[in-house]
Amino acid sequence: MNPIPALKFVARVAVQNILRNRGIAVASILTITLTLLGAGVAVVVVHALDGVLHTEEAQASVLKVFMADHVGFASEVNLEHNLGSPASVASATFENKDQAAQQAGSSLGLTQAINLLERSGAGNPLPASLNFHLKNIKAVSELNQQVRTSALLDSGPHPTDYNADVIPRLERYIFVAQLGGGLVVGVVGAVALVIITISVRTAAYVRRREIEIMKLVGATDWFVRWPFVLEGVIVGVISALVASVILLGVGLGFGGGHSLALGIGAPFAGVTVLALIVAGGALGSVGSFVGVRRSLST
Amino acid sequence: MSISTSPPPPVVKAATAGSSSLARSEPPIIVFEKVSKVYANGQAAIRDASFTVRPRDFVFVVGASVAGKSTVIRLLIREERATQGHVLVEGQDLARLKHRHLPRLRRKMGIVFQDFKLLPALTVEQNVAFAIQVTDPGRPHLKEKVGEALYIVGLEDKLNAFPTELSGGEQQRVAIARALVHRPRIFLADEPTGNLDPDAGWGIVQLLQQINHRGATVVMATHNREVVDLCRRRVLAIEDGRIVRDESEGAYLRDGDAIL
Repeated sequence: MNPIPALKFVARVAVQNILRNRGIAVASILTITLTLLGAGVAVVVVHALDGVLHTEEAQASVLKVFMADHVGFASEVNLEHNLGSPASVASATFENKDQAAQQAGSSLGLTQAINLLERSGAGNPLPASLNFHLKNIKAVSELNQQVRTSALLDSGPHPTDYNADVIPRLERYIFVAQLGGGLVVGVVGAVALVIITISVRTAAYVRRREIEIMKLVGATDWFVRWPFVLEGVIVGVISALVASVILLGVGLGFGGGHSLALGIGAPFAGVTVLALIVAGGALGSVGSFVGVRRSLST
Repeated sequence: MSISTSPPPPVVKAATAGSSSLARSEPPIIVFEKVSKVYANGQAAIRDASFTVRPRDFVFVVGASVAGKSTVIRLLIREERATQGHVLVEGQDLARLKHRHLPRLRRKMGIVFQDFKLLPALTVEQNVAFAIQVTDPGRPHLKEKVGEALYIVGLEDKLNAFPTELSGGEQQRVAIARALVHRPRIFLADEPTGNLDPDAGWGIVQLLQQINHRGATVVMATHNREVVDLCRRRVLAIEDGRIVRDESEGAYLRDGDAIL
């Protein structure tokens, strides 16, 4: 069989089928658009949440080691050298007492209190610190244990800013967000698959006579199946495009018209649209394949 | 429905008339060998049926409703599989035929049904062309082949008509033209006159005889007594799934049978 006329025929029949069964096609496109939209929103929200959590994680991955006031520069360098070398440490920076005061002033609004203390002759109460930026949040606890044994550390009750509660909580949030997002995408994908399967099964039922004749005159399963599969792909891709346009439109609307909401960047938006189109096409083809299978059983 | 005045002897005179001597020397094109068919609901449609059909034979399969005539046709196109026994077409055991080879089998056959099975949205020409488009879309001279098939059935002037604009007889002719475009060696007709008035029905049977004269083997399931009696071709009579009579120039009923 010559493949070019065969492909032309399949494409023509698929388009004709969509046009002939406009009602079913439009209903399918609407429902699949809604489900893909749900999946798209889930992906975007999870991505934004993931971003927030990873920012938190990055902040929590910094272990502040407070130095005792008597420690000299050479000892600090030595400590930095010794502790900064493990593979888990990405970098280490030194923050002197003035920088600590400035930081506390700007982030905690304590400028006035610090100035008051300095003017009273008590001096800057904040210690200098070595800030270790770790590659993995899980390494923070280990480094904290390691560093606490050093005599160079501030003798106060909190020689580091390690908070044992924050890290597991953050990890739990990230896990829940990813699992929740994955579940939503999975459920929505399954719903879309069922909808496409039902709609193709309905279309196959509507056209059962045509299928029956095709089989009686000797058409191969390929010839019966592929117009339906292509029809499913077309419906899936159209649905994905509509869902993408709505998603981007809403994103731009909430983002003030210039950028997308939730801090979503153009590359991620592009990947999301592409993923929706691929997902729409894949769902369409798989749903159609399954939907028409029963009609080919005899 | 027919009943026997005395219990019929099971089968069978050898069929000879209606076939050429050349056909006698050729192997049978259709073989039923101790075939039984029991449906999933337990109903036995065919029971231990054996017969052969030679190339270029014309065979009427007759019997009352639900006697098993249509099952014979469905077994021949492998729409159903025999529960027991073997159905062979051109030497190919259909039980062993792989699903992917089914289209090849069906392209050797022309098949028509009582309900015509035309696509109402397509014109006459498109309905006939459909059989080629879905099997061999690149085939050259499509229009000529369609025109030729429609000429044979006498509908060359109805190319652009839709099925709903045609009489029942004309619709069945379109179905026959569609079945002819593959130039089948075997032509199967399941109650092709069932929905037609006597004149149109007779026209269809004459057309099937023409097709037979052109070289195709024709198997026609029918309960149309008039056409069977007029044609005097080979008759296979089925009662309750059993072949009870095989006559070379048979009538619808055996002498002495009565109609209820």
